[in-house]
Amino acid sequence: MSDHPILSIDGLIKQFPTKAGIVKAVDEISFDVATGDTLGLVGESGSGKTTTAQCILGIYPPTAGTISFDGTPVGVMFNRRNKELKRRIRIVFQDPGSSLNPKRTIKQILSVPLRVHKMGSSRERLSMMNQLLEMVGLPPQEYLYKHPQGIGGGEKQMVAIARALATNPRFVVLDEPTSALDVSVQGKIINLLKRLAEELDLTYLFITHDLSLMRNVATRVAIMYLGKLCEIAPTAEFFRAPQHPYTKMLLSSIPVVTSEEEALKPEKIISQGEIPSPVNIPTGCSFHLRCPERMPICSQIDPQMQVLGNGHVVRCHLFAEIPKATHG
Amino acid sequence: MDGLLRIRDLHVGFRIFEGLLHVLNGVELDVREGERVGLVGETGCGKTTTVKSVLRVLPIPPARILGGEIQYAGNDVLKMSRRQMTLLRRHELTAIFQDPLQSLNPVFTIGTQLRDIVKDSAIGQGKRLSRQETEARCIQALQETGMPDPERIMTNYPAQLSGGMRQRICIAEALSTNAKLLLADEPTTNLDVTIQDQILRKLDELVEEKGASVVMITHSMGVVRDLTQRANIMYAGSIVETGKTHTLLEAPMHPYTKGLMASVPKLTGEGVSDGIPGRIPNYLDPPSGCRFHPRCEHRMEICTSAPPPLYSVGNEQRVACYLYREET
Repeated sequence: MSDHPILSIDGLIKQFPTKAGIVKAVDEISFDVATGDTLGLVGESGSGKTTTAQCILGIYPPTAGTISFDGTPVGVMFNRRNKELKRRIRIVFQDPGSSLNPKRTIKQILSVPLRVHKMGSSRERLSMMNQLLEMVGLPPQEYLYKHPQGIGGGEKQMVAIARALATNPRFVVLDEPTSALDVSVQGKIINLLKRLAEELDLTYLFITHDLSLMRNVATRVAIMYLGKLCEIAPTAEFFRAPQHPYTKMLLSSIPVVTSEEEALKPEKIISQGEIPSPVNIPTGCSFHLRCPERMPICSQIDPQMQVLGNGHVVRCHLFAEIPKATHG
Repeated sequence: MDGLLRIRDLHVGFRIFEGLLHVLNGVELDVREGERVGLVGETGCGKTTTVKSVLRVLPIPPARILGGEIQYAGNDVLKMSRRQMTLLRRHELTAIFQDPLQSLNPVFTIGTQLRDIVKDSAIGQGKRLSRQETEARCIQALQETGMPDPERIMTNYPAQLSGGMRQRICIAEALSTNAKLLLADEPTTNLDVTIQDQILRKLDELVEEKGASVVMITHSMGVVRDLTQRANIMYAGSIVETGKTHTLLEAPMHPYTKGLMASVPKLTGEGVSDGIPGRIPNYLDPPSGCRFHPRCEHRMEICTSAPPPLYSVGNEQRVACYLYREET
């Protein structure tokens, strides 16, 4: 990991007022992403992964907290950011079927970011588009004049990636880039993203709900539950010794395909209860209603982040008394 | 051997403006009594079409049965009258679909819908239930699926419940009829992993208790491994490999199954393969012979001429691939 973080988030809060009450979509989360890292943000639906990403992009302004990119605070709406910043942070959405305009050709789709950011003359742009398509492994002469509905789901996602990379970004948010795709296609996209990260020196925030995928992609993994972070650790450490009861529950719930993998799963924790509504978050630790290791304190006081060594950070009362834990 | 469900050489097509989509291309499937069978494949390979053919709920036209037979307990399902089919669906077959919102009627309460099913299935067994008996059976069915507070749930509308709860209701409805064969079409695809784990475990328990046979349709190899005894891998409208689930997943034989298994991200973190090149064929003009040959790296001349039969490779495993021709 490099020493200075490209993105650092401190005490980010995002709330949405609704008729039923205030939804705390993101509730005071802090983390750093170091340059060249791939941070995997994992959580179940409604845990606030996408809202976090959208705050980073500026689609929503944060309710409170700071987001700094390369040392400068950027926690404002998209339309108040300068163009340079918008060029540096880009996003790839989950479903390429709905993020690409069906009425435009791939050439038109790719030319939008280039025109908006005034990159090159129109002739130069064409060669840039050719380069972009080649970079993601699509032969340009074959694809440039096609419409999105004429190509497969995996190829559409490659076009979406090319579009995100058109402005030479440094930081790319990947919001479940493969969950709308079949497994046989997913591998290609993942390996493409990994190769591009190396070639172009990119930093990713990879949002997903698939922990097995994270094992193969991320350098660090962060787990979110109901708008809060539960655990952050470097990938190998995270899977070797998961600490938070929620993480263990998640890991033991994954259906795996080989007996080698079965051996790597933590001891079976019976998953129980439903994810509470984000309008009505339980008091104390938000996980305590489903937690197998619940203690009296859990329903009263929300635990703080504890550093356990080896880059492992956990937010759970089980680790509160022993700030520097024994393992590692 | 005598099975509960026996599908032989089933061909189903859809007539559309551009021509005939020849989707199912000789599906063979056996389900024995009390057995749990998995049907795995990617999007668009014909899993759901197979299930709908068995239930005879395909819209005809545009759908069309082009040939083959489906036998349920020795009777030809395709030749049954409407009346016989209704009875069969009411008492013998039952299904759970992917999206519970589509299976539940939004304008009736859960109680109304569940009571109808319970009453009808009792009439089928020659009993007329009193109001109290119906109520008791409904509540029992809900309790069996691990639903908290069933009395309150009975008065709720589907929209008031979470996705996991709705799917539990579908399971309760499906299993309250004491059906012999349960067709579960991606019952947990829309759910989070911890909830998926709960639902699958509950389903497993209930099926075990009632001694029903199950056809589990999914695209997740992990789910099949956890829940079924025999797995069938489907590609482009035909079964390409079948065998005992564990042996099949540990040692896949068909090039497609191998590719699929290599593309599944694993917890061991050895990276993912690039997947299988190309994509699922166009059903208007499917490739001749083996439908996988354009994507297959072991392609031989014979592959383009005729579709391979299922070759037995021992250990109850059968593979539809000419690579295994000598071994028979």
